[in-house]
Amino acid sequence: MRGENRGRVINEDKKKKDTCMTGKILILCFICLPSLLKAQTPDVVIYPRPREDTKLAVADFVARTSDTSEVQAALEIFDRVLWDDLEFSAFFEMPSKSFYPLKPLRSPTDVKFDNWQVPTLDVDFLIFGNLQVDSGLAVVEAYLYDVRTREQVLGKRYNISDKALIQRVAHEFADQVVFQLSAGTSRGVARAQIAYSSLKGQGKEIYVMDYDGANQRTITANGGLNKFPEWSSDNSKLAFITHLPRSSRWELWIQSLDGGRRVLPLPSSYVASPAFSPDGTQLAFSTREVNGTDAGIYISNLDGSRLKNLSNHSAIDSSPTWSPTGRQIGFISDRSGSPQLWLMDSDGSNVQRLVREGGHCDSPNWSPDGRFITYSWQPRGQWNHQIYVIEVATGRIFQLTSGRGSSENPHWSPDGRHIAFQSNRTGAKQIFVMNADGKNLRQITAYGSNESPAWAGYPVTETQE
Amino acid sequence: MRRVSLYNLSWFLCFLCLLTAAACQKRPPPRAPSPSPSRSGDIARNDRRAGSLPTVTLTASPSSVERGEQTTLSWTTTDTMSLLIDSGIGNVADSGSLVISPRESTTYTATATGPGGQATATTRVSVIPRSARGIITSTDLDGLQQAIEEGKIQPLFFEYDQAGIHAEGERVLKENARWFQQFPNATIVIEGHCDERGTEEYNLALGDRRAQAVKVHLVQLGIDPGRMETISFGEERPFAPGYDEAAYRLNRRAHFIVIR
Repeated sequence: MRGENRGRVINEDKKKKDTCMTGKILILCFICLPSLLKAQTPDVVIYPRPREDTKLAVADFVARTSDTSEVQAALEIFDRVLWDDLEFSAFFEMPSKSFYPLKPLRSPTDVKFDNWQVPTLDVDFLIFGNLQVDSGLAVVEAYLYDVRTREQVLGKRYNISDKALIQRVAHEFADQVVFQLSAGTSRGVARAQIAYSSLKGQGKEIYVMDYDGANQRTITANGGLNKFPEWSSDNSKLAFITHLPRSSRWELWIQSLDGGRRVLPLPSSYVASPAFSPDGTQLAFSTREVNGTDAGIYISNLDGSRLKNLSNHSAIDSSPTWSPTGRQIGFISDRSGSPQLWLMDSDGSNVQRLVREGGHCDSPNWSPDGRFITYSWQPRGQWNHQIYVIEVATGRIFQLTSGRGSSENPHWSPDGRHIAFQSNRTGAKQIFVMNADGKNLRQITAYGSNESPAWAGYPVTETQE
Repeated sequence: MRRVSLYNLSWFLCFLCLLTAAACQKRPPPRAPSPSPSRSGDIARNDRRAGSLPTVTLTASPSSVERGEQTTLSWTTTDTMSLLIDSGIGNVADSGSLVISPRESTTYTATATGPGGQATATTRVSVIPRSARGIITSTDLDGLQQAIEEGKIQPLFFEYDQAGIHAEGERVLKENARWFQQFPNATIVIEGHCDERGTEEYNLALGDRRAQAVKVHLVQLGIDPGRMETISFGEERPFAPGYDEAAYRLNRRAHFIVIR
């Protein structure tokens, strides 16, 4: 049984990475030139490196000139968000602030590097900066210094027209730091939004929030059931399914974040699990012929034209997920008896079974680097799902969650280092995020019932920078 | 899982026993479940003394009218000395008919009393508000809606992760099909539902499979597929709260609503 080996396999895997990545990070730290780092081909790192790799200190930001209560409130938010973002990134060991020197750091001239290299701290990198609020306008200056070379790695000045954007600035700086110190392997996830479905009265509406659960806002308000949101590759649109009150059919909606929407024509009253192709031109989803008996995988253009049945099988075929190249589609089929994870080429050929464990699999989601698929699995004879990851090339399976409740609908973060999912372990369904090795678990929603998180990818346009 | 574990099987059996027991206790005096108009008067024998029991039939034609329209109530009896029809009609002759125009849907009961005892027959006249004329094109909607409300159209239940229709389901569908045929102009929606175990995506597909299976079966029983729609709610609309097999069993179902 694979299950017994799961823990061991993960550990071996990590140890190998540890050695190789520690070497790499050391070299990179010492020749640290941002322009060179950008040119570096990013290595594939799925499992977060251990925190011993890079020690990071994040000093409290200070008021630049006048220290009003308004500035204090902004500082409190900025410090908390920046710390949480960097800690969640799982790239760093972050010693407690109680070990920090007491002297506030307003600008680079205030830094005494020796004080940050005492044995109790001994940090590799140091973040500090200042903040000013003037009649609603805010200015943040943020610095990242290499403590060993005493050189500046990042210096950023943000002008904010509305101090409500203070969280946004903290997220942006955190992502910059992650990008620099991860040698370009991650652009950070702090700014990537999560779409989800939230229970409201009798219905469920589509919402979008920051990855830490803040800034929740509604995308739909039709009083019906809105489920299974998924982002377009440029993050400008969401596809999801909708059942309007008193209707007797499910509809497939593509809604722009600016409000415009399109309802795709469908052959029947059933549709589920839309997924945009990586090139942004097609949608894969599950629907059924009007007189068919079971769901199949279909693709169509975004206007609903050129609808094509890809799976062409009498079993239930559902929950498609595109490989990042768009060449393959992972999906769930019960053609072998129980719902299992299968693969096919995106023209419907080369159908092969990927998971052979029996039980129920569902909700596969392909990692951004193409190596892994995360999915939920319920072993035969049990009633709860847990989150798993399978390495596509080798078929090695890793279990990420365990314990109470049913954990379902996993979805990768854009950098492939984290996974969002839903679980009812604390009662109602809520959304959680964790590292891709199952550690660093955080519950990010707490009220109502929330499901089907979809983490926005890096927008395709941004890749070409 | 397609295999029902021993544990679940035993729960299921217990539940079946309870259900059977409950059904036995609650069963009313034998009533002919006859939706056909020629036998629409139910006969109940309330008196078991020896001798010739009276018999009585009561029919309304048509049985469904718009408000203000007329319908004819007709009755026949045997071995009857006196006959009383309720709902404001009173004592009437042994056999005869009466043109009525009830303001709202009314159930009429004729009670025949004779030397051998007493017998009753009931019939119902459905009245559709005139204001709804523009919206409702068929009085079949009202008739079928009433049959649903009175529990004459039963839901079907399924095994865990199954969409197969068993003997009990076939019996229910046959009975339902008779009602659907009696109101041929009503459009029926078959809703497929699942228990909360399993994932939302798979359950949505499974509920769809259940609804489609029921539709296919009803087509085989002679119902026009053009008047049937299906929709799956997956695990979105459980009927019974709770997290045990008794609740789950009630939630794995296909049920019927009428929409036009």
